[in-house]
Amino acid sequence: MDATRQDDLYLRASAEYGPALVRLARAYEADPSQRLDLLQDIHFALWRSFSGFAEQCSMRTWIYRVAHNVGISRRVRRRRPRLTSLEELSEIPADGSPEDDVHSARALARLHALIGALKPPDGQVMMLYLEDMDASAIGDITGLSPRAVATRIHRIKALLARNFRQGEPA
Amino acid sequence: MTDIKTVWQNQPMEENSMITLSDIRARAARFQSRIRWRNMALYLYSLANIAITLWLISRGVSPRYTAPGLLIGAAHLFVIWQLWWRTSARALPDDLVARAALDYHRQELERQHNAMSGAWLWYILPFMPGLIWELWLRASLHPANVPPVVDRALVLFLILSALFFWTSVWLAFSWAAARLEIRIERLNVLKAE
Repeated sequence: MDATRQDDLYLRASAEYGPALVRLARAYEADPSQRLDLLQDIHFALWRSFSGFAEQCSMRTWIYRVAHNVGISRRVRRRRPRLTSLEELSEIPADGSPEDDVHSARALARLHALIGALKPPDGQVMMLYLEDMDASAIGDITGLSPRAVATRIHRIKALLARNFRQGEPA
Repeated sequence: MTDIKTVWQNQPMEENSMITLSDIRARAARFQSRIRWRNMALYLYSLANIAITLWLISRGVSPRYTAPGLLIGAAHLFVIWQLWWRTSARALPDDLVARAALDYHRQELERQHNAMSGAWLWYILPFMPGLIWELWLRASLHPANVPPVVDRALVLFLILSALFFWTSVWLAFSWAAARLEIRIERLNVLKAE
């Protein structure tokens, strides 16, 4: 692939998915300075990857695969504290008053904490669910079977409902 | 009531989160340079060992140790070649990072696992002929000015030290390989769901 097409694809991806990549980097990295570094890593990996992009899948799937793979690789390298599964996390009670903080930064902070505590496939599924992707797209990105994705989404909905009381008046 | 997905998707963005093409090019240059320096350090370590061995041989310091010294030098050359082959010739293609997450991580872990579990073959075994030869020569030397008891103790110490060092190296590689195997197995379970 010529460098101009690689640059064009990257610029298109960056313009369209830039904000989603920032959200993803935030979920993987709490420290702001490390987060910017991770974001640059993701953009760099994305730019490099476009030299091999030949429409094997949709651009959106490609971008999310690259971004999540970079995020997880960094998380693995940094030896984070013990991660937990969706089943275990469902048992952790929410603190404070969920109704009050759903609009606030605390709601986001708690979402990040929930994602940060999850093992890689569960955390990824949760982030992609929050990006409003369907089960099939999540399966394409993570490599999980549709049944495994559906099970996880079901647990994620229950977990979010328990923590944020969606559907109730704020 | 705002949906939690909306809260997630509408989170405020930092001003410095825009990345330009020149940022990317600068990062690409740093990335290449980091790899070059890492490989350079590994090559220099082996080349320094080879240079010292050749210098000792050329000075005729211990003519008895010339052949085993050359064997160890050859082992270093072999390890350099292996490092070059494993880090350059078999580098991952750029598009591999865009595989589905589970496949990507399985491949990454398998690559590392293969390197670790095979380390005895490409990192440890090449040094053994020269090392064993050197130890055997030292054991059969029996210097006249060293009492036999001290000489035997010294030889035993050298053998035990070599045994301890190389066993530790082998255990470190094996431990890393075993941990990687557990992680690969976990991914297999996830994939089979």
